[in-house]
Amino acid sequence: MAELTPFSYRPGASVLHQQDVRFKLVFIAVISLAGMKAYFMSLSVLSFALFSAILIIHFPLKSILKELRYFFIFLIFVFAARALCTSGTPLIEFMGIDITREGMYDGILVCWRLLLIVLVGLLFVSTTRLSEIRAAVEWFLSPFPFIPGKRVATMMSLIIRFIPVIFEQAKETSDAQRARGVENRKNPVYRLMKLAVPLVRRTFESADKLAVAMEARCYTEKRVNIELYATRNDWIALFLVLCLCVLLSAIDMFGCLY
Amino acid sequence: MNILEIENISHRFSDGALGIDRINLTIREGEFVVIAGRNGSGKTTFLRHLNGLLLPDTGMVRIAGVPVSENIVRARQIVGMVFQDSDSQIVGETVYDDVAFGPENLCLDKSEVKRRVSEALRAVNLEAFADQRPYLLSGGEKRRLAVAGILAMKPRVIVFDEPFSNLDYPGTKQVLNQVLSLHNAGHTILVATHDLEKVIALADRLLIMEDGRVVMDGLPEDIIMKVEAFGVREPCASRLGMKIDSWLN
Repeated sequence: MAELTPFSYRPGASVLHQQDVRFKLVFIAVISLAGMKAYFMSLSVLSFALFSAILIIHFPLKSILKELRYFFIFLIFVFAARALCTSGTPLIEFMGIDITREGMYDGILVCWRLLLIVLVGLLFVSTTRLSEIRAAVEWFLSPFPFIPGKRVATMMSLIIRFIPVIFEQAKETSDAQRARGVENRKNPVYRLMKLAVPLVRRTFESADKLAVAMEARCYTEKRVNIELYATRNDWIALFLVLCLCVLLSAIDMFGCLY
Repeated sequence: MNILEIENISHRFSDGALGIDRINLTIREGEFVVIAGRNGSGKTTFLRHLNGLLLPDTGMVRIAGVPVSENIVRARQIVGMVFQDSDSQIVGETVYDDVAFGPENLCLDKSEVKRRVSEALRAVNLEAFADQRPYLLSGGEKRRLAVAGILAMKPRVIVFDEPFSNLDYPGTKQVLNQVLSLHNAGHTILVATHDLEKVIALADRLLIMEDGRVVMDGLPEDIIMKVEAFGVREPCASRLGMKIDSWLN
């Protein structure tokens, strides 16, 4: 069985699953904006809100964290870069390299913000069908006459649909190369090239097969789309999310920044 | 009645290679045809002409009397195609979404889409998996999902391109059962394969392809002994002079 990436739809009947997708997209935008400007106190409040949402939809948090391990490696790099490159009061000095207090503070802050934004995206993708995302993108693009909304929406939904396939193919290619001793080659550029070339080729081949299969099933841009309905619960949720964002800003404005 | 009339079609690829060469055929409604041949003999290229995925350089394909090139959407609705690689034809995020893809493209009413999806899932016994992610299905289930995606478009002809590749024994039996029940329901079936062993007992007619041409066409029992000259293995039972038995028995 293919290993799944965490970024895929998980069927369910939670509050988040039933929310109108247009509202969910607005939530992502405002929470991400608020999160990017938030400091420690407000980040704690936002983290509490997000973890509550994760518990509400019965998210398999342990397996998600395991699957996000590569993202945590990325965060370590971000943290190290911030800690080493920000000037300020030295905390640790080692072989002429200073790790500053301001750098540590900055690194933790940036990593925390990025992690929360990824979690928001994860909650959205896990509780929203591709067809709903496509319909919402079309809806948001419909006022713009020069943007082909249907085409953009289809391309976006296919990209999301293809992410697990690309990950699976990358894993297969990597396993096949490890079975032939690629780990003995220490040059990372060589290994990256050997992985990237067949992976890109296979991805294009899969895209080609998918295009033919879609054509065989009469694909057209003038197709039936799902209808989007906003309910009272969606407006209540929007109100609550806006209140949360105002609260986050208020904490940072009136409270201390730490 | 002839559902497919293929008149002298040839196709050359853009690199100059000959895909198929002067094929003439008629296929009756309700017939079960197996098309065999070695890799590269032109089976897939031929099948792709039947629903307008490829158009011939010369000649014509008619479906129920109407040329494919005149109405390609009609051709694709009447001739459903199940591809070799199930993974790359899955479009939807859930089983339901994937089956609904075809009817949605036909711009059917929402209630009709729902009805057709339910019917198709019931026909392939995947009703319980409607909300499942397609990647979690087994090989045989994925192939049945591909069949459901086609059935929801109400085709009269169903074309299977190498339907048993990468399937284990239970998966192969699931697909064979499905193919047989579709045939019993009145669908015209075309199966392209290089592995006759699994399917020939069900077929009414056998075509052998070589270098883009149909070199043999007849009843399976009449030509099965000669297939090895064209890179296709003769089934064991036939080699031993026995009657070929279905894998479903």
